[in-house]
Amino acid sequence: MSTKKAALPLTTAQTYWLAALLLCAQVPLWVNVLPWVAIAGTGLVVARALLPQRSLAAGKSRTVLLPLLALAVAVGIRVQLGYFLARDPCVEFLYVLVGIKFIESRSTRDGTLLICLGLFLAVTQFFYAQTILAALLGLPTLLALGGALAALRGASGQPVSWTAQLAVPARLIVQGIPLAALLFVLFPRLAGPLWGSPADAGARTGLSERMAPGSISELSLSDAVAFRVEFRGTPPAPPDRYWRGPVLARFNGREWSALFRLQTGTFARREGPVIDYTVTLEPHGKLWLFALEHPAALPRPPADDATTAGPLNEIAHLTFDQQLLSRNTVTQTVRYTQRSVLRGSVLAMAGDATDNLQLPRDNARTAAFARELRARVDSDQAYIAAVLDRFHNEPYVYTLAPPLLGQDPVDAFLFDTRRGFCEHYAGAFVLLLRAAGIPARVVTGYQGGEMNPGGGYMIVRQSDAHAWAEALVDGHWQRFDPTAAVAPSRIEGGLGAALPNSDQVPYLARMEMTWFKNLRLHWDAINYGWQRGVVGFNIDRQRDLLSEFGVDNAHPLQLALMIIGMACFWSLAILGISKLRRDSTDEETALWRRACRRLARAGLARRPDEGPLDFADRAALRWPRWSPLLRRIGESYARLHYGPRQAGRAALLAQLRTSVDALPGARQLKTGSG
Amino acid sequence: MSSALTAPTLASRWRQRLWRVSPADLDLVVLRHSRIYILPTPRGLAVIATLTIMLLTSMNYALALGYALTFLAGGMVAAALLATFRNLAGLSLSPMVAGEAFAGGCMDFTLSLASGSRDRTGISVAARDGAAVIADLPAGATRPVRVTVPALRRGRLPLGRVTLASDFPLGLWRGWAYVHFPLTASVYPAPEASPPALPTGRQGSEARRAAQPSDAELAGLRDYVNGDPPNRIAWKAVARGAGWYTKQFEGAGGSGALELDWADLPPALDVEVRLSRFTAWILAAEREARAFSMRLPGKELPQGQGAGHRRSALTALALFEP
Repeated sequence: MSTKKAALPLTTAQTYWLAALLLCAQVPLWVNVLPWVAIAGTGLVVARALLPQRSLAAGKSRTVLLPLLALAVAVGIRVQLGYFLARDPCVEFLYVLVGIKFIESRSTRDGTLLICLGLFLAVTQFFYAQTILAALLGLPTLLALGGALAALRGASGQPVSWTAQLAVPARLIVQGIPLAALLFVLFPRLAGPLWGSPADAGARTGLSERMAPGSISELSLSDAVAFRVEFRGTPPAPPDRYWRGPVLARFNGREWSALFRLQTGTFARREGPVIDYTVTLEPHGKLWLFALEHPAALPRPPADDATTAGPLNEIAHLTFDQQLLSRNTVTQTVRYTQRSVLRGSVLAMAGDATDNLQLPRDNARTAAFARELRARVDSDQAYIAAVLDRFHNEPYVYTLAPPLLGQDPVDAFLFDTRRGFCEHYAGAFVLLLRAAGIPARVVTGYQGGEMNPGGGYMIVRQSDAHAWAEALVDGHWQRFDPTAAVAPSRIEGGLGAALPNSDQVPYLARMEMTWFKNLRLHWDAINYGWQRGVVGFNIDRQRDLLSEFGVDNAHPLQLALMIIGMACFWSLAILGISKLRRDSTDEETALWRRACRRLARAGLARRPDEGPLDFADRAALRWPRWSPLLRRIGESYARLHYGPRQAGRAALLAQLRTSVDALPGARQLKTGSG
Repeated sequence: MSSALTAPTLASRWRQRLWRVSPADLDLVVLRHSRIYILPTPRGLAVIATLTIMLLTSMNYALALGYALTFLAGGMVAAALLATFRNLAGLSLSPMVAGEAFAGGCMDFTLSLASGSRDRTGISVAARDGAAVIADLPAGATRPVRVTVPALRRGRLPLGRVTLASDFPLGLWRGWAYVHFPLTASVYPAPEASPPALPTGRQGSEARRAAQPSDAELAGLRDYVNGDPPNRIAWKAVARGAGWYTKQFEGAGGSGALELDWADLPPALDVEVRLSRFTAWILAAEREARAFSMRLPGKELPQGQGAGHRRSALTALALFEP
């Protein structure tokens, strides 16, 4: 029956509902797909909804033009993106495909396919954004899905208004919320992806394993949050907020890159204050985890006790150059608790001294200058101080917009342009040290961070990205920040304080606490809660939550049983509400039917045309032994059901109830009739 | 020994419980969970498959909001399952009457569908091979539902198993229940297409009368008497408000009572042809408002007229066993 129904032609109302669903799925993707894809996909859907279908897909255009159009779209996407078999091109193609399919849709079976495609398209928007706004944009999709399904079911009879059509799905969605919440919390989460690498989410903003002139200044233009930190105790002072990231020790004359060595690092000696904090790191598609200099322990999942930290709980390891590298690519929000020791010193590893002296052949002026300066002072310490003095005293300018550097960029920067951003200063500084025979390397990361007064946590943004240097002096690695010598306010007050006003600085990096900035910080606090509670609800958070309810290390099977049990409870609750409602309305009929059923089982069925009094008479004749009881049942039911609403109703109902209860069972009636 | 005896009864009890194979529902049947089946429709399967793909995608890309959307849509699908169940549960069906049909036609059975305490939407009622009737009922309503069964040959026609079904509210789940009433009807033999003229009496007897015109002329109107057949009422007069009259035809009435005798038919004639001819003659006699008597082997009907007489004659033909 239902299979025959599936081939009915689409009505106008059904077409509108499908269009609503497809538009709800398409609109949030507008900013993420190519402009022509957005226009084509949405245009096709709107055209199908507004124009008569015959004019769009008649005869040849249905069988020839539309497949050709789909092929052309696929080729166009391939040409523009350069690849096709990946996530983003597929989203783009699906975006247009739903429009093409909609154009040629005729029957409710096509409608089913469109519903499935639209529903899947709706989930793809979360590839690009999982903000509160994205969540809100998902809700109309859900309503449109319900409306489209209800419309496709086929309203027999008169047309229904769209609000009436929505009433039932809306009620179903509300009823389903407890089940959805249950599944959201209990459904086993995975630690990693099922297939492929989900890291192809385009270029995420963040540090990279390479540093060329301009790469960090470019990053500084972004207000995006890199990570957020909650401190146990007081946060460190601004000059101590060095968040260590990728360490770069290789230089090819223009670009710094990381050095790889199979060696595990040792933790810094505890010479300064120890500080504990929890980092919520935004996904950046790379391996490193950020920690204040210098990490004193491995990062742990937040809930674990320090005592239970074993090799199984290790989510990262420490490299020879004091980087924390995660076991998995950071493709989802990660939370970890970290311990650092401020102003600790790190012992040199074997090989550090030789690896960090590598010099390219170009930038000859720099090398010559270094050798000459080193000859003038008597110790490495004095040499480093002299270099920093030079940065401080000579007219060097700290700017986001340095002039372009040609051949030998370090020479040009140091002696000609003298304008640069932190990567210029750090790179030149390390090169000067190496030329003088002092092992040194570039450290990138973030410097600074802003406390959110509303949320009690620190926000570190991409605009806090920074590069500084490390030199091996007396067998210890020591931090030197040449930028601090040029622009001390960068370290104390952040980027906005250090740059001239003419430079374009992200709005939030400026320090003035305007009302707007205040509002943005409050919004960030809400967003942070959203990120932590909803978007960042991963395997770790799930484990924390379950252990709060006394379930430790839940097996997926255990979770499945919990879900099934609670889902049963949920369905009983929803069915139970309606059962209560039914019984309260019509108790006398329920009792009367019970009596009739029993008599029917005993061999005397009520004829459809027989009223309660007649039937009771007939039953009384058949079973004289119980005739008063049977007559009383018929009479009280007739008076309750057909009589006027009177005062003695409750007593009458009680009488009916006791009489029906007193009625003997069917077997006893059968044997007692003779 | 004992297990060999109980095994078939156990199996047949399960068959009855699952498929309602025998007509054991005597009176009113209220649909309860024990009778209601629910399975996804093709569309429901497609949506569930899509939700599964969405879930896998959310897992792979760790999309918390993907999970949320999938589970919210899944919650709606699950709530729709319960709504489908509630739309059927508590619905009651009872048998009413069977209609009349000639072999090769369609038999109407009328059942009474009561909604109970809840609004019902899109309830389809269908007999074995008949088309479904779809009904919407407000709470507390009782409505006659006429289901049609093709009447292929004369004789007893049981209503058979009736299926109540609904895919309300979203068309993702189809819930259904079987009800099997012991309601049967008699299918009359198909009237012979071009029967010979009405017989006048016993063949070869002196009482043979002149042949009656097969089409009577309207002679006039007389006052309506209770029991006059509806097709002879002068409806135009009733519609005008002139009162109730019955049409009288030339040569109609008592002018010639018809005697239908099995033995008068040519002996070579097939039984079914005989039955068809009698059926056609009875219909013709009714058109002409002539009384008739009928004699079948082993069954005799005294002379009479009117709807009741006709029905008992046709029923006798329907159930005739040579």
